[in-house]
Amino acid sequence: MRDFALPILVLAAFAVAPFLYSNELMLFNFVAFLALAQGLNIVYGFTGYLPFGYVGFYGAGAYGFALAVMHLHAPPLLAMAAGGGAALVLAVVLLPLLRLSGAYFAISSLAAAQAVYEVVSNPALEKITKGPYGVSLTAVFAPRFSYYIALAILALAFALVIWLRNSRFGLALQAIREDPVSASMAGVSVVRGRTIAWLLSALIAGLVGAVFAWHISVFYPDTAFDLGVSIFATVFVLFGGATTLTGPLLGVLILYGVYNAIGITVPQYFQFIYGALIVGLVLFLPNGLVSLLTSRGIRVP
Amino acid sequence: MSPEPLLVAQDLVKRFGGFRALDGVSFHLAPGEVLGLVGPNGSGKTTCINVISGLYPPDGGSVTYQGRSIAGVASHVLARRGINRTFQSPKPFLSLTVMENLLVAATYGNAGTPPDLAALLASLELDTLAARPAGELNSAQQKTLDLARALATSPRVLLVDELAAGLNPTELARMADRLRALAAGGMALLVVEHLMGFIDRVTDRVAVMNAGREFFEGTLADAIKDPEVIRVFLGGAHG
Amino acid sequence: MLIGAIVAGIVFGLYFALVGLGLNLVFGVMRIVNLAHGDVLMLGGYTAWWLFSAFGLHPLEAAALVFVVFIVVGFPLYYAVVPRLQRARDAEMLSLILFFGLSQMIEALTTIAVGTDQRSLPGRVLGIGPVILFGARLPKPWVFSAAVSAVAVAAVYVYLYRTRLGTLTRAVMVSRDEAVATGIDIHRVSAIAFGIALGLAGVAGVFAPFMLGSITPDIGVDLNLTAFAVIVVGTLGNPLGTVAGGIIYGVSLMLMQTYFSSWANLLPDLLLIAVLLVRPEGLFGRKVRRA
Repeated sequence: MRDFALPILVLAAFAVAPFLYSNELMLFNFVAFLALAQGLNIVYGFTGYLPFGYVGFYGAGAYGFALAVMHLHAPPLLAMAAGGGAALVLAVVLLPLLRLSGAYFAISSLAAAQAVYEVVSNPALEKITKGPYGVSLTAVFAPRFSYYIALAILALAFALVIWLRNSRFGLALQAIREDPVSASMAGVSVVRGRTIAWLLSALIAGLVGAVFAWHISVFYPDTAFDLGVSIFATVFVLFGGATTLTGPLLGVLILYGVYNAIGITVPQYFQFIYGALIVGLVLFLPNGLVSLLTSRGIRVP
Repeated sequence: MSPEPLLVAQDLVKRFGGFRALDGVSFHLAPGEVLGLVGPNGSGKTTCINVISGLYPPDGGSVTYQGRSIAGVASHVLARRGINRTFQSPKPFLSLTVMENLLVAATYGNAGTPPDLAALLASLELDTLAARPAGELNSAQQKTLDLARALATSPRVLLVDELAAGLNPTELARMADRLRALAAGGMALLVVEHLMGFIDRVTDRVAVMNAGREFFEGTLADAIKDPEVIRVFLGGAHG
Repeated sequence: MLIGAIVAGIVFGLYFALVGLGLNLVFGVMRIVNLAHGDVLMLGGYTAWWLFSAFGLHPLEAAALVFVVFIVVGFPLYYAVVPRLQRARDAEMLSLILFFGLSQMIEALTTIAVGTDQRSLPGRVLGIGPVILFGARLPKPWVFSAAVSAVAVAAVYVYLYRTRLGTLTRAVMVSRDEAVATGIDIHRVSAIAFGIALGLAGVAGVFAPFMLGSITPDIGVDLNLTAFAVIVVGTLGNPLGTVAGGIIYGVSLMLMQTYFSSWANLLPDLLLIAVLLVRPEGLFGRKVRRA
């Protein structure tokens, strides 16, 4: 039960927040990053694979949504499914990357995200994707409704991580992360475990990307494939502590909170501080904020 | 003669590039039997275990388990069918607790009735450490945990790779008794070991390897009288 | 047109070899991935631009200065982070994350200092008019940059194979443990290699405005992918394989730009992924796959 207290509190707070606070876009971004951080947590925290190109799934989701709306005139909820589906397709195409070890995986996933960006933003595909000129989906613009859909995606992300935290499958994934050979001798199918975590993680990012496209309704490839999305999600997860539900959640609330409070006008100062945070964390607190508690034997959900 | 064999290897060959790490290894292993695999360093003992446990497929020969070929079958499938192993340098799941290490194996690799994990830990004297992360264990304890991880799958065949290295004499004696007890319960064991005293205590028969090739099979008492065995161990072979 | 593309590809390839060389040296000696490599290169470019516009310094002089300064900066940076990293369980992965953070810091500081405008240096500084090579007409600055790159690569070869320190460096590359056992001060050897690697990246940066047209503070990411593609193609951890990687990369890029120009930007990404998946050991060896 303790596991549910914090996520339910957060969901409830963000459910009432639009009635109390007028900057709905900022609230939306909070919800989106909370979900993205948990999505990245699924693959990084539980399997140890850190995809620098995580934004690729987000962008695929955004463009999956946009293409479904523009060309198929799909209703938004169906287009959401198209967005999630696009990310899943990309994840399946990229499955072979899981054969690569840590650093090579991280870099090649970044290359993959860049490649998708190059394709989507290519002027040669203007008729399909509108190339670098961006898409406009004002016909389906519904900020309040899409905000609550984003909240539902966040609930899904929380639920997935709570499941992984408390299930044998979650343990099996961590076993794979610790040592794939020992894990396979423990009877764990390494390929299957990694694949499931990878697809779930991509699905979350794809859905968040799709709901972002819906909520904002006008955007460019540069926004949908902004490497900053990967960087923020990575820093939030590392800062709070991967493999827990609480860590990434705290990471977003604290760091994105501070970012919104003072950082938006000169983003470079924040880029600098984030970079410094990453360096500091790797050197001094590689397991994040929650490790201050867990290393003292306190269980953190 | 021994009962119906459970595991049969026939002329196993494994090449790495041009190097023949295994160059014709044959043996059979029956339930309740303990076969020692001995030979100088680099003679292919661990490669033999790696091939049987599915780490990589053999390049020639056959290996059957319960009458069916298991050449090239993945490790996790073998674990579920009842073949398991320990590692010379164990790599337990360091961030998981000792009990969680076993839970993974008992859940995913179980080949029979799930064992009582608490009793298993107690029998290996790891029970007081059950809630501790495996990363906090010392190397002897990690080796025991690796054995526990294999046993948590209730294997019918257990491949033991240099379990005794690094244990003190008391621990050695206890480990030998444990392996004998497992065999008495019907488990088939293949034991790779350098310590001849340990081999003598634990095994029924030994197979002797050199340069990837098995050239002697029989009792240890006969082996030490065999001129070829003496030559390999005392003469030209290194290590 | 084909000959032209191939000749230009080789010229660019020599330059790309220099782009990847430092990254590969660090990987080969320290087993860590310097994801700030592209940003160090970018810094070299801005330094050259600043030295030229403020003091009229010739790029060759700037290159010498950058090389020395970056080596000197490399030592303390090495001792501050690398030994600590190597004690960790997953040093390769942690190094990637750490240097990624460092790259963000460098990019942010550069943007704060000089803004986001594109900067370039006039090509005439390196000579006017085309050079005819095997019937292909190439701008003189390209040929000049390629020549400097070739000299730098040759110097690294001499260092590694003709000096005592270079021999020790190669020993560390082959086996850290053996090197420690034979009494080599691996941190001193590594720190020097790290400094040289930054110096090489800086020199590559000095010529970046000529080879890439212009530089901006955010080119680090793309350059990292390019450098990584080059060294993966040319064999990770083998600094001289980088030359082969650079030339393969350069020729492919020029062929793409000649025949499929609108898709040429995809090349580094796809080449990197394809080589890692199909032949992860590059041209000559070393496994990067797990289990």
